[in-house]
Amino acid sequence: MRSIRVSAAADYAATTAPGWQQVPAETVELVPAPMEMQPNGFIQAQLGGREYGKTPLIEAQSVHDGDTLAVRLRWPSERPFNGGREGFPDGAAIAFPIRGEPALWSMGTDDEPVQFIQWRALKNEIRSVVAWGIGSSVPGTAVSEAVTAGWSQGHWTIVMLRTLAGGPEAATLVAGASTLIGFAVWNGTNEERAGLKAVSIDWTPLDIDA
Amino acid sequence: MSKRQVAMIIDLNKCIGCQTCTVACKTNWTSGEGQEGMWFNQVYTAPGYGTPKNWEKMGGGYKDGEPQPGVRPAQGDFGEGFEFNYKEALFSGAGNEALKPIGDEPTWGMNWDEDVGAGDYPNSYFFYIPRICNHCTKPACMEACPRGAIFKREEDGIVIINEDHCRGLRFCQSACPYKEIYYNHVTGHAQKCIFCLPRMEQGVATACSRQCPGRVRFLGFLDDEDGPIHKLVNVYKVALPLHPEYETQPNVFYIPPLSPEKFDDEGNPTGEDRIPLDYLESLFGPEAGPALEKIKAERAKKQAGQDSELMDTLISKNFLDLFGPFNKHPKEIEQIAVALEREPVYTPPEIEITHRNGNGGSSQ
Repeated sequence: MRSIRVSAAADYAATTAPGWQQVPAETVELVPAPMEMQPNGFIQAQLGGREYGKTPLIEAQSVHDGDTLAVRLRWPSERPFNGGREGFPDGAAIAFPIRGEPALWSMGTDDEPVQFIQWRALKNEIRSVVAWGIGSSVPGTAVSEAVTAGWSQGHWTIVMLRTLAGGPEAATLVAGASTLIGFAVWNGTNEERAGLKAVSIDWTPLDIDA
Repeated sequence: MSKRQVAMIIDLNKCIGCQTCTVACKTNWTSGEGQEGMWFNQVYTAPGYGTPKNWEKMGGGYKDGEPQPGVRPAQGDFGEGFEFNYKEALFSGAGNEALKPIGDEPTWGMNWDEDVGAGDYPNSYFFYIPRICNHCTKPACMEACPRGAIFKREEDGIVIINEDHCRGLRFCQSACPYKEIYYNHVTGHAQKCIFCLPRMEQGVATACSRQCPGRVRFLGFLDDEDGPIHKLVNVYKVALPLHPEYETQPNVFYIPPLSPEKFDDEGNPTGEDRIPLDYLESLFGPEAGPALEKIKAERAKKQAGQDSELMDTLISKNFLDLFGPFNKHPKEIEQIAVALEREPVYTPPEIEITHRNGNGGSSQ
């Protein structure tokens, strides 16, 4: 996957910004997060064979202007769901390694944490978090994250914005260098939350234009 | 495993279902936004559906040590917080407006099936069961939380949800077999009884215990050999956990209810217990029968003028003996520095009292 250099990433903030039509899309296969990743027996018992993480794929595009990186995601969703009062909202996340190359499915290790930028349809909120392993995520260094989102014709489309600059608990992205990116999708209608999700099982290389 | 464990015993022979404990708890802990339908303490009528409705059929807990699937109760299962038409019913002067909930007709609520019970007249029966979080020795909620947001305090075994870590995932609600965890849809957190932690830390009994007019609740550490908890649970073995088969090892115990006698067709007492033993065993396990026999035997001793430490403990003539080391008066401690700025629930308007004669009015 490539992040194309543009003059102003802000011009791509809208999901329908015409510039996106010129940006190649990477289709990434998603799979249910493995049952072994569910951190305890209650969650496994709860599922009782119920299917989850069935969102099959996600399309990803990216541009940057040297300061801000934009990632546009599009994935199939039968109907949008913000969780209402008692349910669980649709959501998506992108992941970047902060240091090293930890296994994506492990959500980082003590020495090699992972930054996630998570979006939830409830209140259309986005936040940067850091994780050192499954179930360990806490708010991380802010990277001026912002989001626009829309649903139409059986698909969610969102654009996430962040600075290339990172911090102690956020990945630093460098123009002209390569990094890794991962993806996750939660289908709120199916009560998906936490480890109940569709994930790209491994990292996708992300080449950031100079 | 915590180093010590506080516990509560609730004597069902003394509970009159007045809900004073419920209101004391509500006033202390669940009058905030999003907590309208929350009752960290509830008293329900048994046999009955309880709250959340049919909670005993919602699963969770363990079986042979293995986590069991459970249902996540919805707010509707607990019942919504009702708002009432106080203004119209009490202050409008119309005199014909009944006090009733505002909005949608409620279909369930805490103690909804009050006093329904079971059995056929004249042998119908019911009793009350107050419930709170059981602060289990093996808390299913704690194991179920993928965020590690629930912990059990080492010093007293009280189980707490850390709302800084809770993300409202609610696996705890499914896992708790007692269904004592609520979801606050405003804050996005799971919330439950905290065993009045700020009071207990300063030696003051829980609000539900202290406010109980029936002296129903005992408090103390399980390992305090001089305290009532240890005596009633471990020595006399008359205080039993609710649904021990859920395998979470609750630390709230119950003195099972003695039963009035059945009547025969002529209205004569038969000597049989009206509350079926198998029903009590379904609640408190196989020890229910021996516990009741013990209480009956000790009661007979007392009736015969003999000494009975067990009956003296249960009768608890000295109010403060109920609470072990948690016997301080709330006035003795420094005011707890919690800034609870509450909206008044309802402020009655200033009204003019009109003396009227004739239709619909009072002459007084």
